[in-house]
Amino acid sequence: MDSTQQGEAQFLETWRNPTGFPGWFSEVNNQPLGKRFMVTSFAFFLVGGAMALLMRLQLVSSENNFLGPEVFNQLFTMHGSTMMFLFAVPFLEGLALYLTPLMIGSRDVAYPRLTAFGYWTYLFGGLVFFASFLVGAVPAAGWFAYVPLSGRPFAGLEMDFWLLGLALVEIGGLVAGVEIVATILKLRAPGMTLARMPLFIWAILAAGLMIIFAFTTLLMATLLLEMDRAVGTQFFNPESGGNILLWQHLFWFFGHPEVYIIFLPATGIVSMVVAAFARRIVGYTLIAMAIIVTAFVSFGLWVHHMYTTGLPELSMHFFAAASLMVAVASGTQFFAWIATLWGSAPAFKVPLMYVLGFLVVFLLGGLTGVMVAVVPFDWQVHDTYFIVAHLHYVLIGGAVFPMMAGLYYWLPKITGRMLDERLGQWGFWLAFIGFNVTFFPMHMMGFFGMPRRVYTYPAELGLDFYNLIATVGSFILALGFLVFVVDFFISLRRGTPAEDNPWGSDSLEWSVSSPSPSFTFYAPPLVQSRHPLWHEPDPELEDPATARAREALRGAPAEFRATLTTDILTAAPEAVYRLAGPTYVPLFAALGLTVLMLGILGGWYTVALGGTAFTVAALGVWLWPNEMTLRTLRESDIGQRAGLPLFATGTRSTAWWGAVWLLVILATAFGVLFYSYYYIRLFATVWPQGDLPLPGLALPPIAYALLVGSALPIYWATRSFHRGERSQTLASLAASLFLGVVFIVWLVYELASLEYAMQDNAYASLFYVISAALGLLVLTALPIGACAFLRMRREHEDRKGFMALQMQITALFWFFTAAMGAIVFFVLYLSPHVV
Amino acid sequence: MNEITATPAAAQPPAGCGARSLAIARTGARCFFVAPALALLAGCAGERTQSALHPAGPMAADIARVWWILFAVCTAVFVVVVLLMLLAVLRRGGHDRFRSPLGDKFIVVSGIIIPTFILAPLLFLSLGTTSNLRMPETSVTIEVVGYQWWWEVRYPDFGIVTANELHIPVGEPVRLEMTSADVVHSFWVPELGGKRDLNPGITTTFWIQADRPGVFRGQCAEYCGVQHAKMGFLVVALPVNDFATWVSERQEPHPEPVDERLLRGREAFFTGQCHACHAIRDTGATARVGPDLTHIGSRLSLGAATVPNNRGNLMGWIANPQPIKPGNLMPPTYLETDELHDLTDYLMSLQ
Repeated sequence: MDSTQQGEAQFLETWRNPTGFPGWFSEVNNQPLGKRFMVTSFAFFLVGGAMALLMRLQLVSSENNFLGPEVFNQLFTMHGSTMMFLFAVPFLEGLALYLTPLMIGSRDVAYPRLTAFGYWTYLFGGLVFFASFLVGAVPAAGWFAYVPLSGRPFAGLEMDFWLLGLALVEIGGLVAGVEIVATILKLRAPGMTLARMPLFIWAILAAGLMIIFAFTTLLMATLLLEMDRAVGTQFFNPESGGNILLWQHLFWFFGHPEVYIIFLPATGIVSMVVAAFARRIVGYTLIAMAIIVTAFVSFGLWVHHMYTTGLPELSMHFFAAASLMVAVASGTQFFAWIATLWGSAPAFKVPLMYVLGFLVVFLLGGLTGVMVAVVPFDWQVHDTYFIVAHLHYVLIGGAVFPMMAGLYYWLPKITGRMLDERLGQWGFWLAFIGFNVTFFPMHMMGFFGMPRRVYTYPAELGLDFYNLIATVGSFILALGFLVFVVDFFISLRRGTPAEDNPWGSDSLEWSVSSPSPSFTFYAPPLVQSRHPLWHEPDPELEDPATARAREALRGAPAEFRATLTTDILTAAPEAVYRLAGPTYVPLFAALGLTVLMLGILGGWYTVALGGTAFTVAALGVWLWPNEMTLRTLRESDIGQRAGLPLFATGTRSTAWWGAVWLLVILATAFGVLFYSYYYIRLFATVWPQGDLPLPGLALPPIAYALLVGSALPIYWATRSFHRGERSQTLASLAASLFLGVVFIVWLVYELASLEYAMQDNAYASLFYVISAALGLLVLTALPIGACAFLRMRREHEDRKGFMALQMQITALFWFFTAAMGAIVFFVLYLSPHVV
Repeated sequence: MNEITATPAAAQPPAGCGARSLAIARTGARCFFVAPALALLAGCAGERTQSALHPAGPMAADIARVWWILFAVCTAVFVVVVLLMLLAVLRRGGHDRFRSPLGDKFIVVSGIIIPTFILAPLLFLSLGTTSNLRMPETSVTIEVVGYQWWWEVRYPDFGIVTANELHIPVGEPVRLEMTSADVVHSFWVPELGGKRDLNPGITTTFWIQADRPGVFRGQCAEYCGVQHAKMGFLVVALPVNDFATWVSERQEPHPEPVDERLLRGREAFFTGQCHACHAIRDTGATARVGPDLTHIGSRLSLGAATVPNNRGNLMGWIANPQPIKPGNLMPPTYLETDELHDLTDYLMSLQ
């Protein structure tokens, strides 16, 4: 009895989140970090909203002189960037990070340290971004940062703040996306098959996957632009063979999915709230399918932002068709909610009110979206206030209202306090009415000739009346959000304590106490249906292996944080997975990256180099296996008790999946480079441009053959390792490393001996940058291989445990590098010779 | 206060209430948006000089027609769906707790099948209208080059260079070949048609046509920096004969000034360093940094349709254009008062 109590106390202690000032920086648990994401992004939301109010004051009448052009342009740039990058996505990611483990029945997200790293990069990125106000160099090129306006010489230091700050924010968003995907795929409670996942989980799974592709594209685009600005590459400079439309393609290839990255999780919230209030969900499968279709199709819509750039007619029609198709997917979700609510006599509490407000507002925004998909119509309203109206109907109606619904719905679980119903209703009606008063007249302003992003307009356009209405509305809208903020703070102090399941909902998060404990579930829950809280699970039906695993994890293990990993499809238990506890390493890694960005910002390249070294060192500490942890794990009997491995390998291992997602990101990044290469080539009259010599075919094929061939010894190493042949394993690994080093040496020689510089023209820039990217990839593969080599000398007998996993990941990464080498060789060396 | 468009050549039909039955119908439809009384007030409040809903050319007319179709379809959808939604939450069912009377079939029919039947025709509307709006045979070609924050306008066939004003013959499609000297701009005259971007390093083509004489205001629609808001321009549609007259008048060489003042003014153009940025034909001033001033005296506006062109505004603009259009790239000119007067007179004489 005593030992059980002792075990329980130790379990709670293991899961206790660090307290106090220093503890704040070592936090890795998803709940405090999810909250931080939400609070930080909501603060940015309020700042972005305040900027909007200032702009509305400037536009209240024609020829107004309240702000002047410079400040106005800065404000709309910062407003858009803040709302899109610093508020919408991080807020939803925060909500997802908080809720996912609770909803799927795991104890934390898949990579707790990565959660912290993502938060810190996001926070630091946001701070760098806003630091532009302190130095008086505020970005003013719009949230879309079209070149050449965002390039030199049209934009100065302020644009570097924008690019580098956002690069950090994007990294934060990207890792949170990976986190969400990996968690949903691997950490679901036993029995929660894909078809039993809550719809919110479906939605954020889709959004997470989209983030991986879309954010990587944006990250690469911002890197290319920053290189143009900082080191004089010519990707976007039309005078040296670059192409300004390349930026627009890359930006909107991110930018359109971005809208759905925001919208899909919002629909997930709506599905949950609707189901809770209607006490059922109709069309679950159709909704899930609609989510998947939307995610796919959203990557085929980007050109509808470019109808006026002078593209070929055929491509415009293709994108018009895709744009109309995505409306069908949204329509499906819409009618599923109507069918769900039909005759259910829901209680009109605040979460439902926001959902109903969402339905009306988003419907209108969706319909104007259908309108602008019609090509000639878009020619007229593109870049006018009609679009301003449309996008706010879609983003405020389609995302902010659902977020508010989600806050009123889930805050009781997060804070343990109910929000006030009366204040909530006031807030809703103010926001709903204020929203429509603000944005509805903007449709008309667009028709009457008011372009976007103008700080003023002549009286003769006859727009004063509508602008006055919109400005009045914007203050009503702001008041609505203010009421929520007040309500929130009152509830923290005096709110009614929340019950476990105040709304009578169906999903797992409502089965734990409010506020939710940091370990979420004392024992992994059992899931046998889509509505685990409505249909009491029947333990009789549980298979013995699952029962054993769940029982073994009841309040255990006590020595370290752990959760169950399960099969991607069937959610059958596969392993016990140790989760990282509090550590400062992610903070240091994020700090290093920030120093790197600040170094580039100021042109202090030694500082940048120092930041890089610091980041690499932090990553080294992060990734190098901790002997103490390994010992604790090896001494633990949790694996035997659960009947599951504690050291999982291959597809059972979250680490292996982490490596896969990293490679997906890298592949996307290289894809962006290849796309840029061929896009610029497509519009070049001669290739290579500027009569530069064709790439030589003497030495390069040999060097690239060595790189591609280095995959072979890695393969031998894996085989020998499994056979237990230590010396052969080591020799093979050494051979691969040697070939990799030879390639790097050759690459440096090759780039140094080229008779042109990367600043010469776009071709030269592409050649250098793609080569250098491959070089960086090899330089990353080398330490991974070296690490395997060093550990192999001692751990070669660990053929089923940690070393096996390390070998798998090493091989995976090395094979990827070899494959990328082959493609780069084709793109850079072979394809220019083919006419 | 800016009555640029109210020039003699620009007798535009008023778009107020009661002008034409069509206009009434459309104003009425527009009023449907807001509370009718308010909209009636607003709709009749004054003339709108840049409205896409008052088309004056075939492209704008086609697009306006597309809009009214879209408006009708989408309004119907909106009303039906909102009614369904209200019915859904207000009707008391008394049904089984976990089952809705509506199932997947309802969702498939109303969420997939019906939308497809509504959207497919819209796609054909898009396809049809787009191909209808392909560039027709044109007789006049105008080159437009976007600058921060003004428009260079060149008639390659006539050897005319001007700025911020396109003179076109009524009833004839005009071909536009457009590019940018700096950042992306976008050409947009709502009453004549849609918009097309001006991209540096790329030439885009577009066409406009006005079906009635008048002055149509346009402005840059792609954010292009500090004074994006005041990068306007005017399209002056002239009857074919008047257009021919306009062309031949522009082609005439300027008569050598005989008046002392004008000669002094021309001198001031050079001593004041105006020629460092501006060109005037046949004077040796050929710079292309700022607008060509060969025909400045006949232009309707200054500062890219920012203020009407008259002697007072021109002199004020030369002395210091910054208060009129803050952030524009023209610096103040430091001239003696009488030099300034002479220069203004000289420039006003350049027809």
